[in-house]
Amino acid sequence: MITHEQIEAVKKLRVLTERLQNLKEKWEKAQPTVCVEPSQLFTKAWQEAEGDPIDVRWAKAYALRLEEQPIAIRDGELVVGSFTSQPKGVYVIAALAPYRVLDMLGKFQIERRLSATSTATIDERDAELLREDAQYWVDYMPPDYIGKALREELGEDHFELMQDRALVFEGPFLKAERQSAFQDMLSAWTGSPHPRVNVINTGLKRIQELAEAEMEDIMDKGVRLSHKSSDAYRKYVFLKAMVLTCKALITFAERHAELARKIAEKETDSSRREELLQIAECCEWVPANPPRNFREALQSLRFMHMALRMEQPGRPENAMGRVDLILYPYYIRDLQEGKITRQEAAELLGCFWLKTAEIETLETIAEWFAPGALLPNCTICGRDKDGKDVSNEISLLVLEVLRQLKIAEPGVYIRYHDGMNPEFIRYALECNRDYGGGNPAFVNDGLGTDRFLDRGVAMEDAVDWCTSGCLGYHADCADHEFGVAHLNLTKIFELTLHNGIDPKTGRQLGLQTGDPATFTALEELYDAFFKQLDYFTEKLRADYFIRRSIDLEHSPQSALVGILHFEDAIRTGLLPQRGGSKYPALFSMEWVGDRGVTDVSDSLAAIKQLVFDEKQVTMAELIEALNADWDGREELRQKCLQAPKYGNDDDYADSIFVHVWNKTQEILQKRPDPFTGLKPFTFKGAAAGHIIHGRAVGATPNGRMAYTPINDGATSPMPGMDVNGPTANINSANKVSVRELRGATHNMKLSKQVLNTAEKLDKAAVLIKTFMAGGGWHLQFNIVSSEELVEARQQPEKHRNLIVRVGGYSAYFVDLPLQLQDEIIARTMHGMA
Amino acid sequence: MITGKIFNIQRYSIDDGPGIRTTVFLKGCPLRCKWCSNPESQNAWPEIVHRDSFCHRCGTCITACPEKAIVLGDKGIEIDRHLCTNCGRCAEVCPYNALEMVGQEMLVDDVLSEVRRDAEYYRVSGGGVTASGGEPLSQADFVAELFARCGEEGIHTCLDTSGYASPGAFKKVLAYTNIVFFDIKHTDPERHEEMTKHQNGVILDNLQIVVKSGVDVIIRIPVLSGLNSTVEEMADTAKLIRDSGLNKVHLLPYHKYGVGKYEMLDREYPLEDLVPPAPEELEAIVRMMNKYSLDCEVRI
Ligand code: SF4
Ligand code: SF4
Repeated sequence: MITHEQIEAVKKLRVLTERLQNLKEKWEKAQPTVCVEPSQLFTKAWQEAEGDPIDVRWAKAYALRLEEQPIAIRDGELVVGSFTSQPKGVYVIAALAPYRVLDMLGKFQIERRLSATSTATIDERDAELLREDAQYWVDYMPPDYIGKALREELGEDHFELMQDRALVFEGPFLKAERQSAFQDMLSAWTGSPHPRVNVINTGLKRIQELAEAEMEDIMDKGVRLSHKSSDAYRKYVFLKAMVLTCKALITFAERHAELARKIAEKETDSSRREELLQIAECCEWVPANPPRNFREALQSLRFMHMALRMEQPGRPENAMGRVDLILYPYYIRDLQEGKITRQEAAELLGCFWLKTAEIETLETIAEWFAPGALLPNCTICGRDKDGKDVSNEISLLVLEVLRQLKIAEPGVYIRYHDGMNPEFIRYALECNRDYGGGNPAFVNDGLGTDRFLDRGVAMEDAVDWCTSGCLGYHADCADHEFGVAHLNLTKIFELTLHNGIDPKTGRQLGLQTGDPATFTALEELYDAFFKQLDYFTEKLRADYFIRRSIDLEHSPQSALVGILHFEDAIRTGLLPQRGGSKYPALFSMEWVGDRGVTDVSDSLAAIKQLVFDEKQVTMAELIEALNADWDGREELRQKCLQAPKYGNDDDYADSIFVHVWNKTQEILQKRPDPFTGLKPFTFKGAAAGHIIHGRAVGATPNGRMAYTPINDGATSPMPGMDVNGPTANINSANKVSVRELRGATHNMKLSKQVLNTAEKLDKAAVLIKTFMAGGGWHLQFNIVSSEELVEARQQPEKHRNLIVRVGGYSAYFVDLPLQLQDEIIARTMHGMA
Repeated sequence: MITGKIFNIQRYSIDDGPGIRTTVFLKGCPLRCKWCSNPESQNAWPEIVHRDSFCHRCGTCITACPEKAIVLGDKGIEIDRHLCTNCGRCAEVCPYNALEMVGQEMLVDDVLSEVRRDAEYYRVSGGGVTASGGEPLSQADFVAELFARCGEEGIHTCLDTSGYASPGAFKKVLAYTNIVFFDIKHTDPERHEEMTKHQNGVILDNLQIVVKSGVDVIIRIPVLSGLNSTVEEMADTAKLIRDSGLNKVHLLPYHKYGVGKYEMLDREYPLEDLVPPAPEELEAIVRMMNKYSLDCEVRI
């Protein structure tokens, strides 16, 4: 358990040393620059490896990049490992997304910028080379196996109806247009791996030896598993790919060592020269060998995390894993032996942290993606199999780095449980407040473990999990599937209001569940909606089954992911998603997610009140107003907005929410996972999906305008509509169970003012405690920003939930005179409010 | 059944007593403090307020008002408070929620069921319910009943009072009160009258009743530069507190957050020029209070 003394000591550290300030400044100023070499090297290697087994071919196309792509060591940095020569290099592989690369280049030529969110540049000559490269991959496109099968099984217009236009289904891989020769280039086939403790501790040399020994064994004794002969060969080939990849990763580190020595030779500053030699020594040793000290452990983690990002730059869910568990043993030994001070460790960790921000991809520069969001989640704290708290001084250092460095990512997730030192929670909230965004977040340690225990995982494996993505989590030994297919509940509700017809196109998309204008009770509407949901769930399941099956048949197994799961991968020759892990069912247990439950339930609450209870408006009239996007019916929209909303601990709205939630859950879980036959987890994702979903949905009875985003998150209320404060908000959320969900975010707004003293921080900690005790999963306090207050000043009606709390006084922020609002805005900007 | 006139029930109140609390704001107050940040609490009857930031100037309320009390002025709608009967018609018709009737009659049961919703937070944080206002003791029967019922359910009770009430009201409520927040605004009767329209004799007498009752007391002092915050003034207050045998003091620095509400009520704000006390001023008061062995903190 973390002590008071440790917290006080860490608070005094200066993470932002002059060195880090310089590095950060340079990084901030750098322009995202598209680099062409990795893409070219991939293509070259792939072409040269024609005829090789697909796993080996994939491994070679990766290895050549590690061996030859440009690298750099930047002035002053202590932790190295660069994706490109640029501080903000955009790392693209045209082979994995040729259409999008061409699209990006097209925009570039016209606007000299790539998207609204982030402007990237590319050298004219490089642009030409990259275009050539992408064109090669467009021309190279193999037969469209998935498209053909889906059309055959689900109907000619399946894509058009469900995905492209109506977006009833949405997910990164649910695209009609093929993205690349590698089918689901967003890595449906590699899950969301992260660097595991055991991989760092074992070292790649040893893993390579183990793989080689297994290959020899196969040759000597034959495969000892009950494999078909084709599987035996595949295992051999996969091991070969692993060996190749180990070697290339070691080479990549050695190239950095060489470069460091080269720079050191010319370096005139003797202390920097010393640092460079230390870097060289470090990169010569890891990740090939088990680290000998804290610095090497950090460097090894850096290389292994990078390795994932480079392998598939489009895969947005490469978690960092449990960094405090990985690093602590090395740290404490160094500290005790006097080889490192806390201050040095903080600076090193700061350097490491900044490095994780050094990459841009097609995703981060695309308009539809949350800018910069590559989700390198760090998980800290938690309990071991005996229930002992495992938080340590690195957990603290991570938070302090987060607070002082203030960069968008990584996100830190604290595995919360009641046995933690309350002072630590207070400290974490303080960091949350000072950081400003919803970082760190809190996840329920006990619930995370229980869900795995529910599914038959042994205690020691069930406690070993980390967060990933937005926001799911997975057992260390199994990973989880990336890119869950989402049902757009809001769209399905819209279809229900139109008897299955899409009002946008006039086409019959869903079932004919009756014209709602003829309904005489709310129950009929419920029924119709759940029937539609059931119908679309079955469609999505079939879609998912076909798509994933074909995908698995035609895609390589990633040797890198094999290395990260070396214990099982060497034994079985398979990755977790192909059944290679100790718990084969865990990986794909999550095929379905949904978004929009609050939109649907708040819409139903408005209909209940205005149409059925108070008869202020008829259903036909309401639907007409929706079709007109409220044009000329503003007063009706206001009534809808003012109708009871979920999130206020008000049973009128909440009971509807609970009903929709439970019934949706029942429908989604009714059908077994098509690959395991088991009951699936479901997922209510956060991130940017709600924006995409919203684009296909017209106005809704909760007062939402057409084609605007639907609500984000699982149990989070409609933005601005939770006017009864945080306790009411949490009480509402805890009315539903998230035990069967692998991801369910609860976002809450807090102003800095309610976190400005130790006493108030402790009161906020009670919110976390109660949320978790009530079965909540993931709680995130978004600190009200000055930008948001400015918006509240301009659009007060959307921000009625901002409450100014001062003793003996109560008011809404929007009721303050403008001048006072400005004062609070200014104070928030300066971190004082 | 007793009813109370309530103008707000605020959950997650973290400045109105120990732990996480639900504050029940009662309408009606005999004092007229110039700096009052809850002017909507002063009158005992329900009142209409308009929130200009929500108003779309649609004029619906103007046509609906039976007294022709509403006009559209330069700064949005204005309500002639002499004509207005607070009938609430305009609030019913306003499409944008820009008009609101403040203050409603509530049964103890209704308030209690709202209070109960956060029982778990009280239990974990050591919080409870706070009766504030307005002057809650203007509705002593209601508060006594509410507190008694809370007591039965193990919910901690806090009375936030100006001290200006009848001794009988105090006695009734104190029996069910766990902690009292007692305001002292000034020790001098005349100055007190200037500040609040009433002298402080009643308040000082009541303080003794509270002390004798043995209930925990925290003294709250609004710090108003130029009105009550000189070293001498504060020293007198400190002496009074010490001599009463009390020792916990909270300083509440003046703030302007109430100004907007005056506009919503079509009232003039009496203290245009008053500014919040500087940190140094507050620190000096704390040091001085400490000299009198008082445990004093600034609540921000
Ligand atoms: S009805 Fe409401 S929005 Fe319209 S003028 Fe009156 S106060 Fe403003
Ligand atoms: S409360 Fe009644 S009298 Fe007063 S302004 Fe509104 S409608 Fe007119």
